[in-house]
Amino acid sequence: MAQVIVVTSGKGGVGKTTTSAAFATGLAQRGKKTVVIDFDVGLRNLDLIMGVERRVVFDIVNVIQGEARLNQALIRDKRTEGLAILPASQTRDKDALTREGVAGIIEELSADFDYILCDSPAGIEKGALLALYFADQAIVVTNPEVSSVRDSDRILGVLQSKSRRAEEKREKVKEHLLVTRYDPNRVERGEMLKLEDVREILAIPLLGVVPENESVLRASNTGTPVIMDTESVAGQAYKDAVGRFLGEELPHRFLEPDKKPGLFKRLFGGRAA
Amino acid sequence: MSQTLPETFRLRAGNFNLLVLRLLDPRPEAVLPALGDQFRRAPGFLRFAPIVIGLGDLEAAPEEVDFRALIEGLHALEIVPIGTSGGSAAMRKEALAAGLPPLRAVGGKDAEELPAAAPPPAAEPTEPAPAGPDFQGSGRSAMVVTEPVRSGQRIYAQGADLIVTGTVNPGAEVIADGNIHVYGALRGRAVAGAQDDTEARIFALHFDPELIAIAGFYAVREQLGDAPIGRPTQVRLDGEELRFAPLG
Repeated sequence: MAQVIVVTSGKGGVGKTTTSAAFATGLAQRGKKTVVIDFDVGLRNLDLIMGVERRVVFDIVNVIQGEARLNQALIRDKRTEGLAILPASQTRDKDALTREGVAGIIEELSADFDYILCDSPAGIEKGALLALYFADQAIVVTNPEVSSVRDSDRILGVLQSKSRRAEEKREKVKEHLLVTRYDPNRVERGEMLKLEDVREILAIPLLGVVPENESVLRASNTGTPVIMDTESVAGQAYKDAVGRFLGEELPHRFLEPDKKPGLFKRLFGGRAA
Repeated sequence: MSQTLPETFRLRAGNFNLLVLRLLDPRPEAVLPALGDQFRRAPGFLRFAPIVIGLGDLEAAPEEVDFRALIEGLHALEIVPIGTSGGSAAMRKEALAAGLPPLRAVGGKDAEELPAAAPPPAAEPTEPAPAGPDFQGSGRSAMVVTEPVRSGQRIYAQGADLIVTGTVNPGAEVIADGNIHVYGALRGRAVAGAQDDTEARIFALHFDPELIAIAGFYAVREQLGDAPIGRPTQVRLDGEELRFAPLG
């Protein structure tokens, strides 16, 4: 049986899709057969970030409505073996997704894959609820910022009450915290929440901290999951997080502000594109 | 006949502070004058005050105590005996026959309730200790929450106290008809005494709430200027004012 992992956050723009792409690629790189599903019907970003947007023929809505078979809609990644993408539809709205339809897709994928990643849309509406409903594990993506932490807290409550595991009163969904866009220098200046503050509020195990890094935007724009940029700190942080997810004990890196601004600028690049 | 009758009474548990008159001598003619002396020195001190007669310290056989004479004498001193506490079962039975029912102290079995050192041979089995937990002063049970209470979640302990072992996060709401205890940080809203119990209190080890209310009297964060924010704190209602005191 495949493990179903939802990548969720409540708030938009915190890095769910970047994380989904990086994590799915990272798991596949480690030899795990992985499929990543874009639940953001109507917006459709995952295929862009994965660099497969020109290969999309069918999407998840076509499969649910019986217009295409799952195998026709799945896109096999050409760079990473064992990785597949199920894109979202850009022409439908979220009502086209049904719980029964998604259940059928996940069941079918379970036979062929080790991990099924569900890239959740923002919010706590139908699309987000469907993305998390079947989850065995959850990666909660949070920025070190008050509203993001608040929304993540909210989604954690939803996970423990509205997921299938909660409804069936089974062992609860395993939660992982991934803090993204972390800038130690801004934390030091008091412009961002400290990692400890985020951890204290959310009170779930920390999977990783991904520093704010220009490589993320570059990766998005070139359709390359940032984990493939092994030189970048963000890529390394995602690689560490995947390792921890698979049970390795790795120290958290990139948490300290750099003493030399010149070197810091070269490494972290600030917010410039 | 669908007409509903007007409510004529409500049955509720209540807890009262009462004075206990612990008898050391079974003879009313010895006790009453001494009591009268003491009360003359403090006139009005206990006028018409209800009093419980403590039998636990009395070393006498039940038939030696003339409860009727004692009751009459106490009434003459303007003291109103309402029941007994402690003593042997036979002793309590005698008192009951004279119109003084046995009362049980809150908190269950204490020294007063144990049978007297030398129970008479005819003693009936003593009453069993009350089953289950007995909460001092409230009589309520408690609901225990061991997960963090997260934004958007709302927990209501109906007819009970609420104990949260972790934190109550911003945007979360905890409500109890009784007291609220938060052993982590209280960062959300806390509403105690939701059924207008003005005695309810709120306790938090890290006090940082968005809103606090007891029996409908509330304060939002902006009004908590004097409260010990970030510290262990107890909140209670004093008249219509919320009072904040550091804990410990």
